[in-house]
Parts: sequence; structure tokens; C-alpha cells
Amino acid sequence: MEPGKRRTKDDTWKADDLRKHLWAAHSGNPKGDKKHREKKLRKESEVDFPEDKEQKHRDPDRDTKHRERPAERDGHASRENPRGDRDREKPRERKKDSRDRDRERHKEKYREQDADKSHSRGKDRDKDRERRVRREELRQTAQHNLLGWQLPEPVERRARAGSKARAEEKERRDEGSEWGDEERERRYRERKLQYGDSQDNPVQYWLYKEGGERRHRRQKEADRERRHREKSSVREKRDKHSREKSNSFSDKEGEDRHREKHHREGARLDEERHPGDTGRKERSSREELRKRESKDSEHRNRGASSRRDPTSSQEGSCALWYAESLVRNNGKDKDSRKKSCREGSAVGKQALRPGSAEIAEIEKEDTDIENAGTDEYTPCLEDDFEDYEDDFEVCDGDDDVSNELEPKEKIEELPLARKKEIQEIQEAINAENERIGELSCKLSQKRGLTEDANSSPPRAPVCGIFMDFATASRRQKSRTQALKQKARSTKLLRLIDLDFSLTFSLLDLPPVNEYDMYIRNFGRKNTKQAYVQYNEDNVDRDTQTEEVETKGVWSQHPAEGMAVSGGSGSGDPCDTGAPKVNTPRLSHFLRAACQVIAVLLEEDRMAAEPSWSPAAQDSALRISDSASQLNTSLPFLQNRKVSCLCASQVQRQTVVSVHGPPGAAFDPVLDGRYVLCVWDIWQPSGPQKVLICESEVTCCCFSPFKAFLLFAGTVHGSVLVWDLREDSRIHHYVKLGDCFWTFRTATFSTDGLLTSVNHRGPVQAVEPISTSVYKKQSFVLSPFSTQEEMSGLSFHVASLEESGVLNVWVVVELPKADLAGSLSDLGLIPGGRIKLVHSATIQLSDSLSHKGYEFWGAAQTLSVKFLPSDPGHFIVGTDMGLISHGTRQDLRVSPKLYKPQQCGMRPVRVHVMDFSPFGEPIFLAGCSDGSIRLHQLTSERPLLQWDGGTDGHAITGLRWSLTRPAVFLAQDDTSCIYIWDLLESDLGPVAKQLISPDNSAPLHDIMSEDGEPRQHLLCYWKRKTPLLGEAMGDGCGEFICRNEGLGKEGSCRSPPCCPPALWSPESLSFLIPARSSSPRPWRRVVAFGI
Amino acid sequence: MGCLRPRRTQGSPRIPIFCGPFSSKGGFRPSVVKDCIHAVLKEELANAEYSPEEMPQLTKRLSETVKDKLKEMGFDRYKMVVQVVIGEQRGEGVFMAARCFWDADTDNYIHDVFMNDSLFCVVAAFGCFYY
Repeated sequence: MEPGKRRTKDDTWKADDLRKHLWAAHSGNPKGDKKHREKKLRKESEVDFPEDKEQKHRDPDRDTKHRERPAERDGHASRENPRGDRDREKPRERKKDSRDRDRERHKEKYREQDADKSHSRGKDRDKDRERRVRREELRQTAQHNLLGWQLPEPVERRARAGSKARAEEKERRDEGSEWGDEERERRYRERKLQYGDSQDNPVQYWLYKEGGERRHRRQKEADRERRHREKSSVREKRDKHSREKSNSFSDKEGEDRHREKHHREGARLDEERHPGDTGRKERSSREELRKRESKDSEHRNRGASSRRDPTSSQEGSCALWYAESLVRNNGKDKDSRKKSCREGSAVGKQALRPGSAEIAEIEKEDTDIENAGTDEYTPCLEDDFEDYEDDFEVCDGDDDVSNELEPKEKIEELPLARKKEIQEIQEAINAENERIGELSCKLSQKRGLTEDANSSPPRAPVCGIFMDFATASRRQKSRTQALKQKARSTKLLRLIDLDFSLTFSLLDLPPVNEYDMYIRNFGRKNTKQAYVQYNEDNVDRDTQTEEVETKGVWSQHPAEGMAVSGGSGSGDPCDTGAPKVNTPRLSHFLRAACQVIAVLLEEDRMAAEPSWSPAAQDSALRISDSASQLNTSLPFLQNRKVSCLCASQVQRQTVVSVHGPPGAAFDPVLDGRYVLCVWDIWQPSGPQKVLICESEVTCCCFSPFKAFLLFAGTVHGSVLVWDLREDSRIHHYVKLGDCFWTFRTATFSTDGLLTSVNHRGPVQAVEPISTSVYKKQSFVLSPFSTQEEMSGLSFHVASLEESGVLNVWVVVELPKADLAGSLSDLGLIPGGRIKLVHSATIQLSDSLSHKGYEFWGAAQTLSVKFLPSDPGHFIVGTDMGLISHGTRQDLRVSPKLYKPQQCGMRPVRVHVMDFSPFGEPIFLAGCSDGSIRLHQLTSERPLLQWDGGTDGHAITGLRWSLTRPAVFLAQDDTSCIYIWDLLESDLGPVAKQLISPDNSAPLHDIMSEDGEPRQHLLCYWKRKTPLLGEAMGDGCGEFICRNEGLGKEGSCRSPPCCPPALWSPESLSFLIPARSSSPRPWRRVVAFGI
Repeated sequence: MGCLRPRRTQGSPRIPIFCGPFSSKGGFRPSVVKDCIHAVLKEELANAEYSPEEMPQLTKRLSETVKDKLKEMGFDRYKMVVQVVIGEQRGEGVFMAARCFWDADTDNYIHDVFMNDSLFCVVAAFGCFYY
């Protein structure tokens, strides 16, 4: 059906379009012709069945007739104005169609008469074939030229005319095949004659009789017929030929088929061409249409394709039916073509226009509009086009009618076998028709479209040939719509900015790592959730809504007097008391109190021990009341010699003892090290602090204000500082016996530091330089001026080397200890806060050597003392009996050297010197030859010199009395203590005490231990005395001490030489040698301390 | 996003009624749409387990459901495109991205992700304005 549809489209075209279409059609034709020829051959081989042939011939025959008449009639008009003509032609064609059918039936009546003419058929066939070949050739050539269509027309027309004869032949079949042809021909001729003779009237009459309903068309037909017949007379011969030709049914049928095919192909080509012409929109709409009709077209296509297969009888019959309808169309076309050819016009194009005859009258308007131009039709027509399916239905119905009529006739005429066959074919045709009918019914129902008033069901519908109107209109419509949309979109696009958005991340699922995967897969297996309660929620919270009333009461049991119990009015004594606690002050108090208590306990213990009782020592120590022994029997002090003793100048109870290396191995920690013990002489049972040192300590001293710093010089030339306040935790901790002992290493050591200025030889003396301490002492213990000056740490320390180098160090206290150690202060212990900074170096060897004693070699410097009232001045004892006087600021001083009374140089070591503590510019110097010199600062020579006081024994210790300016003590290397009292006698010592192991048990212990008893004896004594709380001279009563601050009262008799100003509670102790004429003048040393 | 604008009903051209993103009706509001999608996902996938046979149908159903819901919300001048992707959670990394060629003033998109132990579902809804 598709080709039909397309074909109808041609009707809507203008002449130009049509021309184009034809061009396309030509290219398709040859193929069709070829096919056609092949089929023709095949058909001819089957000629044995004349009935079959005849049956098929009949239709073309009829068609030819159809074709001729309208062509004749329309010839002129179509030539001049094809469009307009066609419009008029359509209704006429319709009439023609129906009339032809009638006429055919009519013809049968005359069949018998035509039978005699059948002889000529054989000959005619041959001729016809030749003609056909010729015609085919012509047509092929004509296909290249539009106008060429006219050339083959006459031939073709003849062939068509022959087809009429075929139809007659079929009717004749009943009577006999041998004469059937002749008879038919004859009959045909007769009929023609009849037409020609009776002109219009018989036909008119017949027509009138036949179909009353078609009467209105009759007039026109009659005219047409008449015209045709006039012409036919001219063509008589040709008709004959055509009749003969009609015998070759295949020829005719092939021709029809070919024609139909040709059209179909042309239409197909049209379709291809259309896009170029009408635009895409049309195509789309057409495709829509096609889809809608797909079911129909399926059937139709099947029919069309089966038509080409002549072997299949059923399909062949189908094809037959189909061919009939098509041939009908073609026939008309050809008629018109024939006519136009005869007239010599060039309007053959119109002949190509197929199916125009089938267009219903009612659709005339539509076609008119379409013909007017596809571009100009209005949308209001669209509805009409949508009804085309309905048209099919109607069309099919018509076909059915026609088909029903024909088979009936056939059945009557054909033999039984043939009848059966024909019946089968008929059934198949009917089935097909029904199917198509159903489909179109369904389609129409589906759409539910009602027919408009102006679109009554169109007649003469061969399978939607007119559908091209709809397609075209749709195409047009969609094109306009597309244009509109395009215009709109272009306008809009100017306003709209289309842009690429950012890339939206819809989902970003990172891959699960292996562990998580494992946990997900296996982690839940064999696991259990457990809860543990940690008693976290067991919280006590007190809530107090009302204040608790408190009241303080007290009671006393047993009752003291009348007060047994009572209540306090204030009620909150504890509340006010608690905040008043001054923790630092309390701790301070406790520390002091503990010390006192400890001391008292110690005293009690000592008193309890018989060996320590003063009474037992009475005989031993005549110069002192009592003596106590420091407990040097501690395990780490055993087998160690005491090499040095030193007491603090301010805290007189603090004594340090230097112990040498042990005689026997004791402890790997301490072996090979020197031990220094800081004692509080109130607590002789054990040392307060124990210090250790790698190298041998040659001298030591305490800091001038408070005895918490200890300086020491070593034989290796280093100066060490111990900070006794340090926390014991930063030092070595050793458990010895039952107690723990902390062995402190030096806080700061100059070892390896400042190698350019540091000492290279043994340090002979270490002396603190502080003005204040001497000032205080020089102003004789003024009680109130010292407190502030003792605070602070700004003082220097001088260290004297054997070779005459005096180094001055500044003691610096760091603000904060660094437990991690210091990077810059390499000598500092981690956590230490005291360091020494080198301040100045004074070379004494120069001044000594200038004096013309070079032959003695370099002088050795042995000791140094600073003038208490002016620390800028110092004196240095040498090994040549000379004492050098120098200043730190390199000032010139009046006596550069203090010399002994004897002239000339002697190798005398001035080992000990002591300035008067009372501010007098005098000092004592003890020499190794046993002489003691009393020098004045301003004079080179001594004021006094005692050469034989010690019987030639070297003086190892020499001390002024702190309480009596005219008294001093001397000690020689035989452990003999001499006491000088210048007021009493300036010739020699007023007393002499040999401290020997035999005399005193404690002293003996010490002497036996340290091996240098004499020097230490003096120190010992000097330090020992304050401890012994009360001491009285036996009988002589020359000194009385009283310490008011402590509240300890002793018999206070002021010694004659002691000025009352000396008595001061601040003075911690006094060394008060008793003056007595008795053989034991120093029986008691009395002192009071805090 | 090159959205095909299907032809409107045939007939005389309509007078354009402006009901775009700036009209009172408002445009494609992602927050509202997201809520809608989220609700659908929660409802449909609450106890969903991944199974390769069911997922195609589920995907289609979800997309249809979301689309219908969005249509009910009355973005009548919007062309909606709903894309649903369901994948199995097997520990692999997944990265999905979209890029649109559109008029950023009017068109918008929203997406929502639903995940449970066995599957993840990404629903992206794009709204393109008809001019």
C-alpha cells in the first residue's frame, strides 16, 4: 500500500515537482521493465492454461477501456491546465469506474457474437509481442525525456485496447476455448459498432437502466463515450491489434504490474527527493503517518510482493485483485495519456499521475487546495487528513463489493476444477480484505475521530492512495512549526547563556583499606561486646539546703580551778586561725627550733656519756672548760686523715673538715676521693653535709655572710664551689649502714675552664673578699648594721697559686637552676645555681722579683689575707720571710714588702697571717722558723717580733682573739698551743698547752687519726670552745661569757681586758682565753653561742 | 545538558507565560527536591539488600517514583531527568561525577546518596527549564 500512498502524493505536487519526480521515476523504470520481461517469459511458458490466462486478461481489458475514455475526454483540458483539469477529472473518473464495471457485465451478453474472431488471436499475439518489444525499447528511451512519454503511447494504447478483448475472452471461456477468442473479439467489435451506431443513446439507456444511483453522472459519461467512439472508429485497426495482443495475458499483466511497480518506485524515489524539496519536517510527519499505517501497509506490501510470484495461486489471486485495482487506475491514466498523445500535446506527465481517478468527490476541495500549492494550505485541513484511515475502510468495502460480484460470475462460467481454484482464490482475497477492514476499523476506532461534515466517507479508495495529502500537510505543518521553533530558539538563545557547569561530584567513595575490609568480613565473627564498670558513676555529692549551725565549746579535765567547761561566743576560732598560718614563717621557725632541739638533745646525750663529760677532760684541757669530739668514726671517714679545718667567720658553729684518701679500701664510690665534712659543732655526732672531691683539697673557706657556700682550692689548680643549699636529690646517694648519706659533688668547678688564666699549680689559699663582713667586724659587732649587708651574694673570691698568681673570681648566683645542665657553663653541675666568673688576675711574682732577690729564685707565695677594712689591699706571705703588700687596683702602696727585723734573706716560709679583727691596721705573721711578727700596715718592719716563743717550732696556726684585741693564740707543729696576752706580757706566751693524745681522749682520737694534730688542734680548739656552754676558770675567773640571746646565763664577770662593747648577743662565740697564773691557765674556755 | 524539548501540542502558538525560576512559583529548588528524594530513598531502601537480579527493577522503580514525585511538586516548566545508580558495596572506590551544559540561571540539579552495608544508591535529579 505504501507505493499507492506515495503515488497519490504526486497529485499534490505542482508541475515542477512532478517533473522532478518523473526524473526520479525514470531511473527506477528499467529495473521494473526488466523484471517485467522476465515474468512475461515465464508466463508465456504457462500458456497451457487458457482459463487462467483469460481470467487475468479480463481485468486489463476492462482497465484499458476505462483508460481510454477519460483520456479522450480530458485530453484537451489536461494539456492546457493539468491541475485544474485533474480536479474536474476526478469525479468523472469515479463515475467512469463504476460505469466500466457495469459495462463489462453488459458486454458478456455479446460474448457469443465475438467468438468467431478468435482465430486471429494467435497471429495477433505474435505481432503483439513484437510490438511490445518495440514499445519497451521506446519507453526506455523515453524515460530519459519527459516528453518522450508521448512516443510510446500509441503502442501502449493499442496494447491496452487489446486488454478489452481479454475481458471478453474470459467470458467466452464457458463456451469453448477454441472459438472463445474469436467470439470475444467479435463481440467486442460488435459492441463497438453498436456504440458507434447508436451513438450515445444505447449506452445511455443501458447505463440508465443499470445504475439508477449513478444517473447523475450519466450525462458526462455519455459524452465521453461518444467522443471515444468517434475516435475509436479511427483506431479500429489498432484496436484489433490490441485485441490480439490481449491474448498474451502475461504481457498485459506484466505491463500492469510493471506500471504499478514503476509508480511505486517512482514514489519511492519521490520520497527520497522530498527531503530536499519540502524539508525535514515533512518527512517526520510522513513517517508518523507511515507508522500509523504500518499494519495496513504490511498487508498491502505482502500483497504486492506476492503478486510478483505467479506460481503461488493464492497469492497470485491476491495479486490479481490488487492488480485489478491498480490497473483500473492505470487504465484511466493511460486513456488520458493516449488522448493527449493523439492530440499531440506534451502533457504526458499527467498520465503518470496515478490513482487520481480514485479520489472521492468530497476530497476534491482538498486536492484543489493542495494543488494550489503545498505551502499554502491551512492547518484547518489537518483533521481531514487524519481521516484517511476511514477512507481505507470504505475503500475496502468497495473492493469487496466488486470482488463479490466478479467471483459469482466466474463460478457460473468456469468448470468445476477451475471453480474450486477460483473459489480458493476468492476466499483468500476475502480473508485479506476482511483483515484489512478489521485493521482499518480498529485504527479508526482507536483514533475515535468523528468525521467532519465536509469529510464524508470518501469513495473510490484504493488503499490510501490519497494519504499523501496528509503526509504532505503534515510535512508542511511540521516544517512551519519547526521554522517557528527555530526562530524562537534563535531569539531565546540570544538571551540565554548556556554554559558548562562545574563537575558535580555525585559520589566519592574511597576504597576500603585492607584492614577495614577484613574487619567488615571477619571482624564480627567470634566477638562479643563487653561492658566494664569502673565505678565512675559512684560519685558522692553533698547537698546542703540549710546551713549547719556550729558552736564551739571546750572542757577541761581535770578541772583547773573554776573553769571546767565553757562555750565560745565567737564560735569560730578555728576558722580565723587557719588562714593566719604563715607557712614560710612556720617552717622557718620549725627549722630553727628543730636545730635547737637537736642541739639540746645532743648535749643531753653527751652529758649522759661519761667519756664526754667535761669532768673527765678536765685534766686534759686545762685551757678550756670542756671539749667535745666530732664523730669521725663514721664508716666513710674511717682511716682518713684530716688535712684541713676551716670555720665560717660568721657562723662559727659551722666547721668543715677535709679528709684525705682512705688508708684502706672501703667503698668504690668514695675510694680515691677526698671527703669534706661540714659540721655543726653543736651536733658533733655527725656531719651536716658530706662533700666529695676528685682531687686533693689544699685549702678551703666559707662564704663571708652565710656559710652556705664552700670554696676549695685543689693541688690541680682548680677552685671548687659547693652550694650547701642544694637539694640532696641531685647528688649521689649512698646507703651506708643504717643511714643514707648524700655525697655532694662540687656545684662549680674551674677545672678545664679558662685555661689561659686558670691556675696551673696547686692553690695555696682561697680567701673571700668582702668589705661588709670586715666592716661589720671592724665596727665591732654593731648589732644592727649587718643584717642587710649579709644578704646578697655579691662578693669575690681570691685564689692564690704557689707561683704568685692571684685570681679573683666573682661568685654569681643564677636566678634559676637548670636541671638539664648548662651549655655555656661547663663547670656547673646540672641543677646548680652558683658559678664562678673570672674577674682579674694579679701577678705577684713580678713585684716580688724586682726587689733584688732574684738569686733566690722565684718566690713562692704561700698565703694571702685581705685587709678587712679595705678589701683592695692584701698581703701575701712568701717562702722568703717577706710579706708582699699589694692592691687589686695596682695602686702603689707605701711598703711594698714587710720584712722581718733581721736583715738579709732567709728561707723562711710565712705560712700564717691574721689581721686584727678589731679594725686595727695590724697583722700577725707566723713563720716556719718559729718567729711571730706583729706588723703595722704602714711600716716595713714589724712592731714586735718573737723569735723564741715556740722554741723554734714552726708556727702552723695563728689567731687573734675575737673578743680580746690584745690576745692571740699560736700553734706550733708539735701540737702545742701558745697563748699570748700582750697586755700581760709582750715577751712571750702567757700560756702554753700541749694537746697530745695522752691528755685528751677526744683530741687523741683526732690526732691519731689525722696525723697533723697541731694545726687542727688550734682550729679545733677555736671552734670547740663555743660549744661548751659554760666554762669558768677554776678560780681565776677571768672571763665571763653570757649569751643573753639564748637566755643561758653564766657567771658574768667581765674580764679586765675585755671591753664591755664586745658583749653582744649577736656574737656567736668568743674565744676567751683565761688568764691565770695557775699552771693551767686555759683550763676552761667559755663561750656562749646561739 | 542537552535536553530534548518535546513538541508541545499542536495548534496556535501559545503566548509564553513566564513561570520560570524568578516567578512566584519559584524554580527548581534543590532543598525541596532533596528532601523528596531522601524520603523516597529512605522508604524504598530501608532494608534493601543488594542482589543483582532485583536491582534493575529497583532502579527503574526508584527513578519513576522520584520522577513522579517531582512532577507532583509542580515544576511544570521543567524537564526532569532522574538518574538512579545502585551499586554494591564491595569495598571498591567509586567516583561519580556529572557535568551539565545548561543555563545556570534556571537549571539546577540535586543529588542524594543512600548507603547501607550492602549497597549504595545515588539519585541525581536534573531540572532543565523550558523556555
